[in-house]
Amino acid sequence: MSDSEKPLATETPLYGLIAEYDNPTALVHAARKVRDAGFRRWDTYTPFPIHGIEKDMGIRMTRLPWLVLGFALTGMAVATYFQYWTNSVDYRWIISGKPFWSWPANVPIIFEMTILFSAFAAIGGMLFLNNLPLPAHPLDLKERFRRVTDDKFFLVIEASDPKFDERDTRGLLAATNPVVLDDVLEDRVTSDRIPAPLIYTLVILGAVSLIPFAFIAKARAAKTTEGRVHVVWDMDFTPAYKAQEGNPLFGDQRSMRTPPEGTVALGQLHDDEHLYTGKVGDEWASSFPESLALSEATMERGKQQFGIYCTPCHGQLGDGNGIVHQRASKLKQGWVPPSDLHQTYIKEQPAGQIFGAITNGVRNMPAYGPQISAEDRWAIVLYLRALQKSQSASVNDLTDAERAQLQ
Amino acid sequence: MADQHHSKSDSHGGHDAAPKLTDSIRLSGADLSLSKTAFAVGVVGIGGAIALGGGLFGKQFQHSYLTAFMWALSITLGALFWVTLQHLVNARWSIVVRRLGEFLAQGVVLLALLAIPLLIPVLQHNDTLFRWLNHDTIHGISSKTAYLNPSFFLGRMVFYFAYFALMATFWLKKSREQEKGGGEELTRSLQGKAAPAMIVFALSVTFCAIDFLMTLDPMWFSTIFGVYYFSTCVLTFHSVLALFAMWLQKKGHLTSAITTEHYHDIGKMMFAFTAFWTYIGFSQFMLIWYANIPEETAWFRDRLEGNWLSATLVLAAAHFVIPFFGMMSREIKRNKTTLGFWAVWILVICWFDMYWLVAPNLHKGGMAIGLVDILAWVGVAGLLLGFVLSKAKDTNLIPTGDPRLGRSLTFQNI
Repeated sequence: MSDSEKPLATETPLYGLIAEYDNPTALVHAARKVRDAGFRRWDTYTPFPIHGIEKDMGIRMTRLPWLVLGFALTGMAVATYFQYWTNSVDYRWIISGKPFWSWPANVPIIFEMTILFSAFAAIGGMLFLNNLPLPAHPLDLKERFRRVTDDKFFLVIEASDPKFDERDTRGLLAATNPVVLDDVLEDRVTSDRIPAPLIYTLVILGAVSLIPFAFIAKARAAKTTEGRVHVVWDMDFTPAYKAQEGNPLFGDQRSMRTPPEGTVALGQLHDDEHLYTGKVGDEWASSFPESLALSEATMERGKQQFGIYCTPCHGQLGDGNGIVHQRASKLKQGWVPPSDLHQTYIKEQPAGQIFGAITNGVRNMPAYGPQISAEDRWAIVLYLRALQKSQSASVNDLTDAERAQLQ
Repeated sequence: MADQHHSKSDSHGGHDAAPKLTDSIRLSGADLSLSKTAFAVGVVGIGGAIALGGGLFGKQFQHSYLTAFMWALSITLGALFWVTLQHLVNARWSIVVRRLGEFLAQGVVLLALLAIPLLIPVLQHNDTLFRWLNHDTIHGISSKTAYLNPSFFLGRMVFYFAYFALMATFWLKKSREQEKGGGEELTRSLQGKAAPAMIVFALSVTFCAIDFLMTLDPMWFSTIFGVYYFSTCVLTFHSVLALFAMWLQKKGHLTSAITTEHYHDIGKMMFAFTAFWTYIGFSQFMLIWYANIPEETAWFRDRLEGNWLSATLVLAAAHFVIPFFGMMSREIKRNKTTLGFWAVWILVICWFDMYWLVAPNLHKGGMAIGLVDILAWVGVAGLLLGFVLSKAKDTNLIPTGDPRLGRSLTFQNI
């Protein structure tokens, strides 16, 4: 359809006036005139960005940055509050003995949420402030306007502008020496509705996206006798046999194999009963095993191992006030406090019995036999003896010289 | 920023014709007298610091001097990085201020000489500054001697400064050759040379920062440390660049060549690297805090106990929160007064950052900024200023021979 054919011209209202120019300089001069005439509802259209034309058009700085800043701070606050609430209000859990709300760990999430909210605000705000998406525009019907993507420059003043007067405005534009000056009529041909297939697609996608939430809601409300749903099958059921599982490959159906008759694995010959069990015969040994050197080095080793394995619960002093105990008692979940190792009944236990407690565990203290070597467990017992002594030493334990120094 | 140039076709109005440069582009004798004053201030400052800081090899002086030295070095290395970068990415916006970066990069030659008082003790196995020189005091240090030994250390230092000085000299020399003709072809060849130069530079800056700053606490290690120092380099350099340009314009040079648009871009770099410094600094902190490994956490523990905790919080606020929100607005970067304010702010806080890296080595118990720290800082800054200005003598303040100059003169931000 060419511009000269205007089948609906008599009934279709005027959208605005369009002026066409050959070069950017002419457009910029025209823009300055339109700006100075005080028009508000008008725009320029060019094949490429013209730097500085916003000044020639009198366009003020966009408010988008404030919108982005507002959303960024909102994202920051949401991420901070959500992590604070989950970690230290809703689901408190001790991790590595750190405080419930360990903010440094939250910073990456806060950072990401700040960026995410900013990006949404920037994209969404840009679309909103530009009145996008715009399915149809009267200029789309202008045959000549297509060259805006090639080599022509246009200026359009809308008829809805309060300053618009068909004759005067036409005169103003004519004075800018456009190549073509023409009417733009309202678009009564193209529908400005969003295309129906697009709406159907969005509705269907919206409905489908609710399905997972429906499953979650059902699972929270209803009870079932069926097992949990296994989404990733081969991660839930690995081919490896578990220790106590039956195994059809062997005659005795056991997965755990015993060593062949009469053999011992390398380094597993535990023939020193005193060293490996803490017992002599059926009684707890009251002495340290002979192979253990009762030296300064063993004491240091014991101190180090005690520091690694025992202090989290029993504390540096062995008084049962370790960091795990301190944090766990705040949770008030029926925490059984670790023993004070200076209680008389523990001090009176033979060395072998303490060794046995470390090896096999006591009450809710787990067995440390599999983790700490027998020599190191004895070293811990040795250090514990020194620790016990240190917490209940009397003046009589001092040498004469030391006593003299105190006095 | 390099892509925000004017392409010929998108210009309008009077921008199409290559503009004529009518500005003053040489420093006058009166301007150069500042060079002598700065040298004098430098000598007095350093002299005072030596006198009050227990002599040239005194513990206090060595630490104060290292702080000031690393601060000054960051400016010149930032300049070296920036000049190389402009060649590498064929940047157009920056041509009008590139020569200023080339002058600032010359400072590395002076700093090579100023490094000598820090290196003589290494030669003498004197552990005043670098405790790794004394194997008796640090448990486990012997496993690091393959890297931390005086001869290899000094060898590396010679390499770094020889390379930095070579780069600084090369870029200024070639930039002046552009003025004698050579134009497009010479300019293109410099882009090719910038790529390998940048790779060696990146490694040199990383290890230079490790050697001067990280080895102060020889059992501590952080793989991101070189990048941390690099962020300071970019920050201090752009701040000095902005102030340098403002000073020149106040003295009547380059008055129309450097516009709000160029200041805006310099301001963007200052703003961006404020966030970058935080990103790197926090990444370093968070991983060490989370892993909680004794030999790593010890370094932060030194900086989080006693009044060092306040110092760390001040650093976080004054190096990130305040300038980040302060420089966020476009108008602030486009206004010389506000941009100048933030440039000075960044230079001060970056010195404090260097102090925060060095001084806990000396004052374990608590921060104590003294007169020696200030004198050494003023002294090194004075010498650097005097040296850079003297290098600008009899040289154009703008690379008039660069084929991209016209684009830079008409540069506009979107």
